[in-house]
Amino acid sequence: MRHAGHFVRLLALVVITVVGFLYVRSLVVPKDFGVKGHFRLSAIDDEGKREARHIGSDACAECHDEIGAAWKAGKHHIPQCENCHGPGLLHTKVVAEDSTAGYTDKILKQFPKAINPGTGITECKWCHLKTFERPSSLKYIVNVEKHITEHQGTFSPASRCIDCHNPHTTVVKR
Amino acid sequence: MSPITPDDVTRREFLETVAKTGGQSFLFGSLFVNTALLRLPQAGADPKSRAEAEVGKGIVYGFVVDTTKCIGCGSCVRACRAENGVPEGYNRTWVEQYTFYPDGEVFVNSPNGGENGFADPAPTRNKPTGPEAPMRGFFVPKLCNHCIDTPCIQVCPVGASFKTDEGVVLVDHERCVGCGYCVQACPFGSRYLNPETGTADKCTWCHHRVIKGLLPACVVSCPAEARIFGNVSDPESTISRILATNRVQVLKSFLGTRPRTRYIGLDSEVI
Repeated sequence: MRHAGHFVRLLALVVITVVGFLYVRSLVVPKDFGVKGHFRLSAIDDEGKREARHIGSDACAECHDEIGAAWKAGKHHIPQCENCHGPGLLHTKVVAEDSTAGYTDKILKQFPKAINPGTGITECKWCHLKTFERPSSLKYIVNVEKHITEHQGTFSPASRCIDCHNPHTTVVKR
Repeated sequence: MSPITPDDVTRREFLETVAKTGGQSFLFGSLFVNTALLRLPQAGADPKSRAEAEVGKGIVYGFVVDTTKCIGCGSCVRACRAENGVPEGYNRTWVEQYTFYPDGEVFVNSPNGGENGFADPAPTRNKPTGPEAPMRGFFVPKLCNHCIDTPCIQVCPVGASFKTDEGVVLVDHERCVGCGYCVQACPFGSRYLNPETGTADKCTWCHHRVIKGLLPACVVSCPAEARIFGNVSDPESTISRILATNRVQVLKSFLGTRPRTRYIGLDSEVI
């Protein structure tokens, strides 16, 4: 037994390593890791904590009730307000002067009321510019210049769709 | 070293033993492999029957993209970017424009993921009229397929990628170390490394909206009703009725990842 000291020291080293590993592991690995699989369970709640930025057209109509009612009754009621105007969450916060307003996307830098007022032509083109792949049932425009002259208008580069069409109801103004 | 005695194994005996045990292990091994293979998802399995198998299992989400309805306006792409704060140049969802020409050429185009709409015709080939005019075309919106057998979760070394009980594949942005293995593993290109957070990012089917009772931003914003989201476990839900009355397909079924995002009217050229 004259070499027993070697084994004791080796055993002590192994014990220290194992205990140390388990201790560090308990500090590093979150408590809820591995409860339902190889992941942190509270990550699901973390993901769900984000605010919904698209608030829905009904929420828009709470303040903009006249436009909302006309939009709902009109032919253009399928595309939602936020399709053209962008998400409304920050707009409601800015209008309500809520200091917790907090997403720093370009929309806030771009528009003072944190909502896209619309250019009157870009938004229309997204759906109504003719492309070959679009179904023929969709009302689209092949050539804006031709379209305006055909309807006894005078085309200018500054011509906008909303000069003649109400974008909320599709009713032609003149 | 003791000298070799006749009691030791002869070469003949040795070879016999090797052949026997080798043969046995080969037989058992092949049996095991066969049974394992049988349990693998069949590549061409009908995705609709899988949806039916999920009926009554609690909430299980599904997504249907009706390519016959998509008009390529890009509303979904813009809504997704705004809703999720997706950095410029990256996409959680995008729209591809397919144009077929009489000489057999197919052009696939997705400028900025379709965020600013599409030009007519596809700018890659500017022959809109005459005998070389395109024959047919369509748009295909793409997003994360939320596969049942996900390659992306398997490769994550830190357990930052996971699947919820509802079948949604999510990223734990606190654990993710940004190694990018999952970005490479995804055969559909659904993932990207977010340059702002340094972590992997992907479509979550707007999990943060869905748990509040809202629909995903792309579904709400689609003016053509080309995107349908819902609980496939509930046989009365809209998506279940659509899955029951349509012939649906999934992308790259041969990979056996079993996507939960199903497509109506998918052409064979779409990959």
